Amino acid sequence: MVCDDARPPVQRTERIGPNLLLLEHDAKELVHPLGIPIPPGVFVDSETVDSLALDDGAWVVKAQVGVGGRGKAGGIGFAASAAEAADFIRKHADATIKGHRVAGFRIERKVDFVHEVYLSFMVDAAARGVRVLLSAQGGVDVEAHAQHADAMLSVVAAPDPVSLVAAAKTLLRELPSDLQTPLADAIEKLARAFLRLDATLLEVNPLFVLADGSWIAGDMKLGVDESALPRQPELEQTIRARPEAYRESNFKLEHDFDYVGIDAHGQVGLLTTGAGLSMMLIDEMLQAGRRPFNFCDVRTGQLRGSPARLIEVLQQFTRGPDIAVVLVNVFAGITDLGEFAQLLLAALDAVPQIKVPVVARLIGNNFAAAKQLIEQSGRPITVEFDLDKALQKAVDLAGMAA
Amino acid sequence: MNGFHLDPAAKVLVQGATGRMGSRHTELMKRYGTNIVGGIAGASARREVSDTPLFGSCGEAVAATGATASVTLVPPMDVLGAVGEALNAGIKLIVSPSEGVPVRDAMAAYAMVKEHGAFWIGPSTPGLAIPNRMKLGFIPDVSLKPGPLGVMSKSGTLSYETCFRLASHGVGQSAWIGVGGDPVKGMRFAELLPFFQQDEQTRAVLVLGEIGGTEEEELAAEIERLAFNKPVFVLLAGSSAPEGVTMGHAGALIQGGRGTIQSKTSALRGVGAHVFTSIESLVEGVTRSDV
Repeated sequence: MVCDDARPPVQRTERIGPNLLLLEHDAKELVHPLGIPIPPGVFVDSETVDSLALDDGAWVVKAQVGVGGRGKAGGIGFAASAAEAADFIRKHADATIKGHRVAGFRIERKVDFVHEVYLSFMVDAAARGVRVLLSAQGGVDVEAHAQHADAMLSVVAAPDPVSLVAAAKTLLRELPSDLQTPLADAIEKLARAFLRLDATLLEVNPLFVLADGSWIAGDMKLGVDESALPRQPELEQTIRARPEAYRESNFKLEHDFDYVGIDAHGQVGLLTTGAGLSMMLIDEMLQAGRRPFNFCDVRTGQLRGSPARLIEVLQQFTRGPDIAVVLVNVFAGITDLGEFAQLLLAALDAVPQIKVPVVARLIGNNFAAAKQLIEQSGRPITVEFDLDKALQKAVDLAGMAA
Repeated sequence: MNGFHLDPAAKVLVQGATGRMGSRHTELMKRYGTNIVGGIAGASARREVSDTPLFGSCGEAVAATGATASVTLVPPMDVLGAVGEALNAGIKLIVSPSEGVPVRDAMAAYAMVKEHGAFWIGPSTPGLAIPNRMKLGFIPDVSLKPGPLGVMSKSGTLSYETCFRLASHGVGQSAWIGVGGDPVKGMRFAELLPFFQQDEQTRAVLVLGEIGGTEEEELAAEIERLAFNKPVFVLLAGSSAPEGVTMGHAGALIQGGRGTIQSKTSALRGVGAHVFTSIESLVEGVTRSDV
């Protein structure tokens, strides 16, 4: 297992939808009660590895990480005893795969199979429906197989169980007869699990078909829709149980807004609202050769008179040793800037460790009152109306410190 | 040709008109000139909000007012139900600003909208506007100004900022439609292009796009298919974003290398669009053109 990526282990400043890719172990334990057969397995990390007990026999040890491609990165090993499994775990416990820290390991019974199949259900945004993909040739090289004509079968259906199961089953006609019965069962169960869990992706690859005609999920990727968490208590529990592995999701559950660390040595702390504009600011800052510390979207329209979100972001900034300036950007259609200025000052009072200058770009109702209030506070805050000037000022301040 | 059009005099309902946000935005939309003819009170006992009569259901409201459009100012978990109610009452244009609508609900809502031959804007959008005529949602007045640009945007704040700067250079909008930032949505960029093609007020199109999804690539294909002959200016956010979570093999198989800034830029430039990666360069590009 290698760290093939020098970037800090942070992803997703772009919005790909409110998706969370669960660890394989969590995915399997979530779908198992819904009737999906999985190989029996346990979760082990560097703290529990010393007390690991296993029957002898063939085991697979799989690094748990929220990103694909771990097999090819060396994150999967085989063991015939607890000692061998523990050895692999100790060797790989501190590894990083594609910038993601390994969260632990799933040790699972090795499966004897006769076929490896690929089956997935996924939200297809362009089609505005659920896309089902099925191939009789599964495994890690499925994308290469899919280049051959007709190797990958595909259909789109509406997001209800009857339509989805019926559409997916039309693909079975193309499969060899010995695969039809197990795959019909797999489609029935996985389609319902996909909808039941508000999944955005449920990929089983390989889906093992056994000699006796039954099937079992080999590897699994489960992406879930964070917007649906209010009606998915089991999912919420799973996310809360792993504050480290699902850090950004836990932050959002706790504080109800988006915050993503970008660069631990970033120079500019961003206290901004609006995902698109915040992303653009990061682009422009990097184009100017400065390093933003974070991305955030505090949603000023939802502050409701409380500085809590602003305090939370400022507290994140206290972890940035190289932050030289805080750039605030609020383009408010409705928010009263006078009220926002009060909240900003209250938040700065609450986090006195923040001593660097602040550039506050404000636009909206009551700008004059906000400017006056901030200037009277005597704090090192520059109030700007023009975003380019504010950005330039922040870039200059970051440059002076660098 | 999908038949999408905007009527500045359209009769508009507000679903969720009695909530904190609902009553405020009902008043703001009305003040802007929107022909708000009624609100849906739901469980509230109130009879009117800022001189707007309230009704118990969309059906009653449509029967009494002849409304054809609605804005759903309801919590995200209630959007699917609100869209269904509006469609069953015969509403043909629905704008859903709510953020955080579950993707499964958005897919189900879209399926109903399609079945009813209606149009859905959103979710997760500030809405749409024709400057000085009507506003369905809450695009800030300071950014709105009548002019030649047909605007469509995935992001609210990025469109506020960009249009504000363009407006201060004297370049306003013919119509402004926020398609919203969610992956599964109602109208997409490409589907709005025929409207801008036909609309005589629109002399150029401004697109605020961002990394992820395939809407910009679809738009490029539609520009070519329609032989769209008005200038298209595009600002793309996310050029510095690191590669995101790969959604297993399925994502790679569906998107097939699309979704990146590079693929969007080359697709759009390939059909003659002007693509920018900073607000200032876009503003310069637009103001230097003869639009």
